[in-house]
Amino acid sequence: MLEVKNLVTSFGSVIALDGVSFMAAESKITTVIGANGAGKSTLLRTISGLETPSSGSISWLGKSLLGMRPENIVRAGIAHVPEGHSVISELTVEENISMGSLFRRRKFKGDVLAAQTEMFELFPRLKERRNQLAGTLSGGERQMLAISRALVSRPKLLLLDEPSLGLAPLVVEQIIDTINILCRTTGLTVLLVEQNANTALGVADHGVLLALGKVVADRPASELKADATLRAAYLGY
Amino acid sequence: MDTFLAALFSGTSRGAIYALVALGLVIVWRGAGVVNFAQMGQAMFSTYIASTLISNGYSYWLGFVVAIIVGAAMGSLLDILVLRPLSNKKKTEFLSSESIRAAIPVIASLGILGALQALAGIIWAAEERGFPAPYPQEGFTIANNVMPFTSFDVFVIGIVLTTLLMTSLFFQKTGVGLAMRATALNQEVAKLSGIRTNFTRTLSWAFSGAASSLAGLLITPTSNLSPNTLDLVLIIGFTAAVVGGLDSPVGAVIGGFLVGMVISFVSFYGSPEDVFLSILAVLLLVLIIRPRGILGAKDARRV
Repeated sequence: MLEVKNLVTSFGSVIALDGVSFMAAESKITTVIGANGAGKSTLLRTISGLETPSSGSISWLGKSLLGMRPENIVRAGIAHVPEGHSVISELTVEENISMGSLFRRRKFKGDVLAAQTEMFELFPRLKERRNQLAGTLSGGERQMLAISRALVSRPKLLLLDEPSLGLAPLVVEQIIDTINILCRTTGLTVLLVEQNANTALGVADHGVLLALGKVVADRPASELKADATLRAAYLGY
Repeated sequence: MDTFLAALFSGTSRGAIYALVALGLVIVWRGAGVVNFAQMGQAMFSTYIASTLISNGYSYWLGFVVAIIVGAAMGSLLDILVLRPLSNKKKTEFLSSESIRAAIPVIASLGILGALQALAGIIWAAEERGFPAPYPQEGFTIANNVMPFTSFDVFVIGIVLTTLLMTSLFFQKTGVGLAMRATALNQEVAKLSGIRTNFTRTLSWAFSGAASSLAGLLITPTSNLSPNTLDLVLIIGFTAAVVGGLDSPVGAVIGGFLVGMVISFVSFYGSPEDVFLSILAVLLLVLIIRPRGILGAKDARRV
């Protein structure tokens, strides 16, 4: 269980998260939706340790994550795929993937290779392009690479920030399907941030609606999806 | 023809050393985003330590190894004690402008350079002293002409090429090398991949410290040793790094050899006074024609 309580994160005088509380159940997909600037990315960045909250608490499986460095949070089983297909363009596809499991090399030598092979099975396109520089990939391939980089760290919780951003609908569907299958078959917990609420609520078990740094709704995804008033008020469709 | 060969030989051996200096600068620039002006100050200091050991009767090779270890240790300590605290966002928050914040480490490195030179002056006196070469510095004779190419030059070129090869293998083939490259290219993604970026940054400083100490050991037999002798080497090495493209290690090596050749040919065919002017001309030319340097930041293009 990921438990976020009264989380406040600000940048100078701008308050991005204003007392956010919610829970994400294990082996389920929880989606955080909301308009641009609602604080969705900041929420993920605070959980993964990239931003420091000014107050509140975050705990994963009963252990507090506050004050931990991002590199140690990854080691604790929480992988973050930030917004914008974040891969390192100057490194090859293979290097980008193995980067994510460098810290596991000593203890789990055999599994590091197995994890890499799994990624190539999950995304065969990446296997074809394993020796190409990541900068030469298409947007969708980059997103697949960023997800692979996160998955080879063998996370229990995956934080996904706007995987659909700038991608063709067909590619989005493929990526969301993959995440869904991973969650259902391996018990991976997913916290999915999306601006594309329809797609996100279609696959998620639970939904959290953020507006201006505050939680305005926290319900099963199907209920949120059916609530026309909320949709009109906060998502504009 | 003889002059040509002489210039070529001398350029290769000088160029090898400048390549090493440039490589040291590039590695810290990529790894930590700092142009480390203290680099040759560190090299000067560790060469003095070697010099002290050797003049006290210890072997050249002991001094050699100790100097390189001291160079690596100094590099790491500078990062841990000075640069890392200075890059702390919270502590520099009061500085409103991003460009002022970016200048902090550069100013710190200049301060460290000054402090090291003053300290060396206090400990070892500011006058020049010689530094031994492990192999004879008499030119080989080809067809009754003494060439300006010595057994020591062969040693210099050999050890520098070995170092460059090993560095390249280390960065390309090992996990730590990959972690260092990842940190240099994108710290955020590196952190999110579980890489301890503070550690890899310090490792870049250690590496660069060792490389520049090696450069110090290799150049002082011909230039002598004083607290300031290596300033010029830093300027030439920096030029080489910029010529090659400040963020490319391969470029640094090419830049080093190129600048070495220019210096050598100008001093053989022209006069030694023109050397400085010619370096400046090369720098200007590169900045005008190809501002990013020979191999600088080439964006990967989509296919």
